[in-house]
Amino acid sequence: MIDKASDAKPSEIVDAASVLSLDDLCHACNVEVGWIGELAEHGIIEPAGRTRSEWRFSSLSVVRVAKAKRLERDLGLNAAGIALVLELLNEVDDLRTRLSMFRNSDEEAPDDTA
Amino acid sequence: MEFKDYYKILGVERGATQDEIKRAYRKLARKFHPDINKDPSAESQFKEVGEAYEALGDAEKRAAYDQLGKDWKQGQEFKPPPDWDAGFEFSGAGGERAHGDFSDFFDTIFSGVRGGARPGAGRAEFHARGEDHHAKILIDLRDALEGAARSISLRVPEIDAAGHVVLHDKTLSVQIPKGVVEGQTIRLKGQGSPGTGRLPAGDLYIEIRLKPDPLYRPVGKDLHLELPIAPWEAALGASVKMPTPTGPIMVKIPAGSAHGRELRIRGRGIPSAEPGDLYAVLKIVLPPADSEKARKIYQDMANELSFDPRAKLGV
Repeated sequence: MIDKASDAKPSEIVDAASVLSLDDLCHACNVEVGWIGELAEHGIIEPAGRTRSEWRFSSLSVVRVAKAKRLERDLGLNAAGIALVLELLNEVDDLRTRLSMFRNSDEEAPDDTA
Repeated sequence: MEFKDYYKILGVERGATQDEIKRAYRKLARKFHPDINKDPSAESQFKEVGEAYEALGDAEKRAAYDQLGKDWKQGQEFKPPPDWDAGFEFSGAGGERAHGDFSDFFDTIFSGVRGGARPGAGRAEFHARGEDHHAKILIDLRDALEGAARSISLRVPEIDAAGHVVLHDKTLSVQIPKGVVEGQTIRLKGQGSPGTGRLPAGDLYIEIRLKPDPLYRPVGKDLHLELPIAPWEAALGASVKMPTPTGPIMVKIPAGSAHGRELRIRGRGIPSAEPGDLYAVLKIVLPPADSEKARKIYQDMANELSFDPRAKLGV
């Protein structure tokens, strides 16, 4: 088979509206079904559908699960810890963005007064 | 090749206990983990700290390293003496340290010994279907707003004719669709690991990451822009020109606007079926008092407006 690696690939954007099944997601991230269930229980990912066979995930889940997997592997966090870390990180990101709106690059740190 | 002082990297004394080493590693791992720390140097620091823990966290490796390293300093040009590791057996037991490639220095001193030095490399695992791979692509905000063709280079493991795993450089051209947001993934079918036998290759998932833009800060589908205004524009109100991704517009600053006020311009964020919004965050900028005239105007304001900004502080 001819290697067409260098041709432009028509990419399928797995966009926020398009969906993955539980199986797709497990395979995409190389994780166990049970662990996806645990992540869902903690709200780290939010499947649509009532039963596991009906579960559908957005493409943003792929990134979240990959991140959760790294946090578990590298920092030993459990699902509850991961959920809290992701929420706090979001909040910190948001605050940093807002804060940077108020500061110039040349006034990063407060000045000490005499 | 440079000598790496693993004690220095972990910030511990040479006589540190295993507990102290573990504690130091965990603290630094939390600090530099790339999912926690957005600094671009965080990932390499995380790997370095992981490698230091791999060497010092294991009693055997630590003993060998201590033997070898006592005369060397961080950064020195280094060559291991012959037979330096005679008498040591490395079990290659893993630990909790991070996965990833180790430096040439580490490989040189811990290689070629029974058990191998690459925990995690392990036996080839045979999957029925090829594994999916993940990659990231860093694009300009402009590419996300308009769509673009971008290329991405990957190092892909492949199995050669002799059954060995080799790393192979591959370049793909990817069509970035218009209106992508940070964190969205593009799936390229069949670009993951090859399958074994007649089973298909896995897919490649490419995560979109946006480079910082000088003007706009994306927050999900919305964009935030800092809009500098003069004090009189804030106090009296004004109609000012501001940039948007689709061209400049006039925007009305309401009279009495405070610093930090956000004006929402609907539909001018990241394009989509339901486009995001553009938020102009007002930043009141003071004209510098760098001329006689400017100083006089400020002084006049001070004299003629009875204004005490600290009235509520009770001083």
